Amino acid sequence: MNLEPILALAGKLAAPFDLPTMLAEVVDAATRVLGAERASVWLYEPAADELVLRIASDIAPVRLAAGVGIVGTCARTRRVINVPDCYADARFDPSVDRKSGYRTRCLLALPLIDHQGALVGVMQVLNKRQGVFDAGDEALGNVLAAQCAIALQRTLMMQQVIEGEKLRREMETARAVQMSTLPAAMPQLEDYDLYGTFQPADLTGGDTYDLALTEQGLLIVLGDATGHGIGPALSVTQMHAMLRMALRLGADLEVAYKSVNNQLAERLPADRYITAFIGLLDPKTHVLRFHSGGQAPILRYRAAAGGWDEYPPTVFPLAAMPLERLRPAMSLELAPGDLLALVSDGIYECENARGEQYGVERVRALIAERSDASMAELATELLHAVHAFADGAAQADDMTLVLVKRELPGARRAFRRKIDALAQIFAFTAETVKTAELRRRLDLVLEELFTNIVKYGRASDTMIGVDIRRRANGVRVTVTDPDAEDFDPANAPRPDVRAPLERREAGGLGLHLVRKLVDALDYRYSPEQRAGRITFTLRERDAHD
Amino acid sequence: MLTIESGAAGTVVIAGRFDAAQCATVQAYLDKLAGIVTLDCARLEYISSAGLGVLLKTQKRLMATGGKLRLTEVNRHLRDILQYSGFDQIFDIE
Repeated sequence: MNLEPILALAGKLAAPFDLPTMLAEVVDAATRVLGAERASVWLYEPAADELVLRIASDIAPVRLAAGVGIVGTCARTRRVINVPDCYADARFDPSVDRKSGYRTRCLLALPLIDHQGALVGVMQVLNKRQGVFDAGDEALGNVLAAQCAIALQRTLMMQQVIEGEKLRREMETARAVQMSTLPAAMPQLEDYDLYGTFQPADLTGGDTYDLALTEQGLLIVLGDATGHGIGPALSVTQMHAMLRMALRLGADLEVAYKSVNNQLAERLPADRYITAFIGLLDPKTHVLRFHSGGQAPILRYRAAAGGWDEYPPTVFPLAAMPLERLRPAMSLELAPGDLLALVSDGIYECENARGEQYGVERVRALIAERSDASMAELATELLHAVHAFADGAAQADDMTLVLVKRELPGARRAFRRKIDALAQIFAFTAETVKTAELRRRLDLVLEELFTNIVKYGRASDTMIGVDIRRRANGVRVTVTDPDAEDFDPANAPRPDVRAPLERREAGGLGLHLVRKLVDALDYRYSPEQRAGRITFTLRERDAHD
Repeated sequence: MLTIESGAAGTVVIAGRFDAAQCATVQAYLDKLAGIVTLDCARLEYISSAGLGVLLKTQKRLMATGGKLRLTEVNRHLRDILQYSGFDQIFDIE
């Protein structure tokens, strides 16, 4: 036996070819080593239990069920089949010859089996140049087939890795685009506490939200595109951009909704749609008008009665089909303390290991219990509760939450940066808060935060804002410094309050007292605006504690 | 409004709201005292960390010469603040 062609082939097959090159190499090697006219490689697809022959990239591949014909039988039995006279063999299918005009006399079918014993495919070698294939060709063919099987298997695996990597990068890019459309900061709107948050699942999901001040009012959006992968991420990104554009061009809610729907219906693949809540809130009248395309339930918490309103969708999902007419928008008025909650499926349908869903009831219970917290805190707590419920189960879908709360009455005042302004601050709290005990704690926290700003903050002519809002059982206070250094009072160094007298210092004590007295403390800093914002809540205490 | 003055039986009576704007007044008053000083806090409505700083400085000064600061008639607000800050370990509280 001439070993050299086989060894030369072994060297070639070790090269990192792509799949078409590797197939061509294998076919070329088989014809040369076995002295045949032609050869072809059928790859096995286990999922379909079929063999597939790729002739050229622009011709549809030929498919054959395993077990059918000579190639199929070879795949099933995993043994070499040597047919000296094809037209005398009942398993032979002469139709291929008729189409191609080529006449197959004899053939050798060799199973391609890799290291692990898995079937990679079948190599078919046609027409020995002299005579028919003999036992020596069968033995040589088996050696060759083993080499080819391993080389092909390696190439297929590499191809999968490369495709996976390509897909992953495309996905990352689509995700980055999706994330970049979300509001960078929450809009500031008097009398409202606004918060939106988006927690992407690992790879899939097509949620988005928007909270933006436009000339037509506060735009409130929650969207969820169907399906998983790159498509939904791009769909919601398009929706987001179209909607903001329509409103910037002065469209009203109806026109904006209809034209975005019709544009998307035209552009998106036929099986894609987006469930979306799109609303405009008039901050003066507190009337919210909205269309909800398949997004439900929309929750509104009524502070005065402590009850809930649930709104079903008003129209079919965005982009499902073109809209000729649109029913008038649903309209509701937010009373002081009312809270609108838009919650994506990823939260309602979050499942734990027992297959139970988090559900609407749990969402409502948590919001009702914590409606006094700031919306940022409430969102954090809700997502925390959802993750605790999932108890380690992988997050299957994006989780998105938009909370819009109309504040209870309160007051806002601004103060100069000097210690003497403390008297004015205390006069302000005396007007706003009537309970002496609560007011004393409020004064102390405000004094500590304010003197800290005066002593360590920038020398600036800007005023320090203090906003006091009543809650059902206490107050929520926001201190804003429009010209601030980034300094988080919640993470300030802690003094050692157990140290003996000689080592005690008064420094750091103020913020320590603040942390002791507040029920919740939230700090935000915007480097672009150099603005710092501290929000804290104080609860009324019962007389006995 | 904050007042600090000598009361009956040699005590010092502090009354009103002891905030950061009052520190200089109180410090100046306490700096003149020596020995064991009893501070009657019955009508002290409010104290912040700035006020605690004044009391701390005074305590250090008095103890260096064998004296100390005693706080009497401590109300709940003051007691909470002293406890949160660990100052209940530093002063005699009655």
